Amino acid sequence: MTDTTQYTRQDWQSDQEVRWCPGCGDYTILASLQNFMADFGVDRENVVFVSGIGCASRFPYYMNTYGMHGIHGRAPAIASGLAVARPDLSVWVVTGDGDALSIGGNHIIHSMRRNINIKVLLFNNQIYGLTKGQYSPTSERGKKTKSSPWGVIDYPFNPVSLAIGAEATFVARTIDMDRPHTQEILTAAYQHQGSAFVEIYQNCNVFNDKAFIALTGKEERDVNRIVLEQDKPVVFGPDDAMGVVIEHGEARIVEVADVGIDAIHVHDATVENAGAAFALSRLSHGPTGPTPIGIFRSVDRSTYASDLQQQIHDAQAARGPGDLALLIAGAGTWEVSD
Amino acid sequence: MREYIDGSTAIVRGALDAGCTFFAGYPITPASGILMAMMRELPKVGGVAIQGEDEIASIGMCIGATLAGSRAMTATSGPGISLYSENIGLAVMGEVPLVIVDVQRLGPSTGGATTVSQGDVQFVRWGTGGGFPIIALAPSTVTESYWLTAKAFDLAERFRCPVFVVTDKELATTLTTVDLESYPTIQVRDREVGSGGPPYRYAPADEVAPLHEFGRGATVRFTGSTHDTGGYITKHLPTVDALNRHLSEKIEDHRDEIELADADLEDGAPTLVIGYGVTGGAVRAAVAEARRRGIRVSGLVVQSLWPIPETVIRRAMEGVDRVVVPELNLGLYRREVERIAAGRSVVGVNRVDGELIDVDQIVEAVT
Ligand code: SF4
Repeated sequence: MTDTTQYTRQDWQSDQEVRWCPGCGDYTILASLQNFMADFGVDRENVVFVSGIGCASRFPYYMNTYGMHGIHGRAPAIASGLAVARPDLSVWVVTGDGDALSIGGNHIIHSMRRNINIKVLLFNNQIYGLTKGQYSPTSERGKKTKSSPWGVIDYPFNPVSLAIGAEATFVARTIDMDRPHTQEILTAAYQHQGSAFVEIYQNCNVFNDKAFIALTGKEERDVNRIVLEQDKPVVFGPDDAMGVVIEHGEARIVEVADVGIDAIHVHDATVENAGAAFALSRLSHGPTGPTPIGIFRSVDRSTYASDLQQQIHDAQAARGPGDLALLIAGAGTWEVSD
Repeated sequence: MREYIDGSTAIVRGALDAGCTFFAGYPITPASGILMAMMRELPKVGGVAIQGEDEIASIGMCIGATLAGSRAMTATSGPGISLYSENIGLAVMGEVPLVIVDVQRLGPSTGGATTVSQGDVQFVRWGTGGGFPIIALAPSTVTESYWLTAKAFDLAERFRCPVFVVTDKELATTLTTVDLESYPTIQVRDREVGSGGPPYRYAPADEVAPLHEFGRGATVRFTGSTHDTGGYITKHLPTVDALNRHLSEKIEDHRDEIELADADLEDGAPTLVIGYGVTGGAVRAAVAEARRRGIRVSGLVVQSLWPIPETVIRRAMEGVDRVVVPELNLGLYRREVERIAAGRSVVGVNRVDGELIDVDQIVEAVT
């Protein structure tokens, strides 16, 4: 997939005028993505962006790659067909909390479960932006929106927990404002063989401004960001004074001084058992307090396309390729003498 | 040589011979036979078959696979067509070639899953929003199931659009003895793959641009939104107007390339029987029986349901004063025939109890 072509960010920009509201978090994510693609030397003509409906779904118009602006919620299905038919392409899905988790919930979980080689970027702004401010499956309980004037009574999804439960082999979370971290996560997702699920906290400054202020505000972020790093103890806060322990399948926040650094959970995203990753995902139910970001899970499994290619290979070896005449007839054919 | 074969198998074989390389479907009676045969047979010719998580995903995967260079087919029954609806629209708007098999069962809703019907003939015609032309072929025999499926692949490439093969529970699942020599060979055109230049063409309105596949040459975009010839979303009035006229005219102006019917006309016969699909068999038998009884009658089995083959039907109606339209619904196609019949009397022979129309019922209507 990588080649020697030297790209700059401009090569990844289409000639289309970008039309999000001024100040929208989508701009930063677009820039991060274009930078990552250019820096990493991804071959532009091997890349496809597929989207559904929502503000984020305009993405394919702005990336100078192959693109499909499809229909609401179905991008993972279209992308799955693409990725299986052409395993050599790098297929990305850009989606939102409504597109992926409400109308498209079924397709998201099944594309993860199959380990189809698609990279899902879920721009989570906890609101419907394009349709102007209705509550979404990640809106917090009690939230008053245009479609929940008395407050939301649904319990929200935790997208990372959902992806882990759906057997995703790569699950990560990042924040629009943090471009270096976003690029780091995108690189890891790109390199991962199989389905990758990346939740990106994205500020919708028009309909849900400051939803992630606990993680992006100058004062708050140092207190609340739990940055997961492979093989390192999960510590956070000023002077890394806070840490996470996992006991009986449950993650808890402790003061490191109280338990000693050796009791702190050492993060390993590569273990097949998803228990610790899931426990970490349950630390926060909304980004209003200490919340982990980074790679929760990154495990090796054969991909759908590679297993399928093996089956095709075996089926052809058993039968001989191109055996069309005998294909179905065979057993049901006989000679009749008049 | 003869074989004992059902319509589903013939459809699968027609698809494979037409160069189908991708199938995705979801189990549903009475279309599951096609899914199972495809899952078994397609890998043997290097193709990909997937059982999707639902019908929406299955047709969506087909669209994705087509853009990646596959020739794709999906198969379902009425309830599945309901779920296909939005993706049918996407394929129409994005101009994505695709073959969709509808094995009709008695509806609405779950209806009679194992019961024959022809209740979807208008549904496939108007199965998605916007009101644009659709191509639908309807086999009336196992042999036709084979070659009309191949033809559907050909037309899908020609017009860059979804093409339906409309069959039913009876045709798809009943084993019949067929002469192997009776299968005609259909020339299925190769895909014209675009490289460079815009992925869409609206002028002249009836022309179709070659399909620009992903991962081959210049980067392109597809979209379900109104778009310019570059595939970019637009609200520019003349462009939107040109797009919508193009989607209609590329098919409407070339109906002669689609019209297919099996005519058995008798000079001076006052009565014409028009049927399609499984009822076509009864029409042929009834025409033969009526003639045996000395009644002069013509028969027409429509193979291209949509667009309705007006030229063929008009020709068959010459000199006729009475038209009989048997179908397994309450007259869904008869109304189309009435429009063309220009004052001739048009009578239906209809059945919606889940049984086939008897040959005698048609003979009676002819007499
Ligand atoms: S509505 Fe919100 S998410 Fe949509 S473009 Fe505007 S700021 Fe961005």
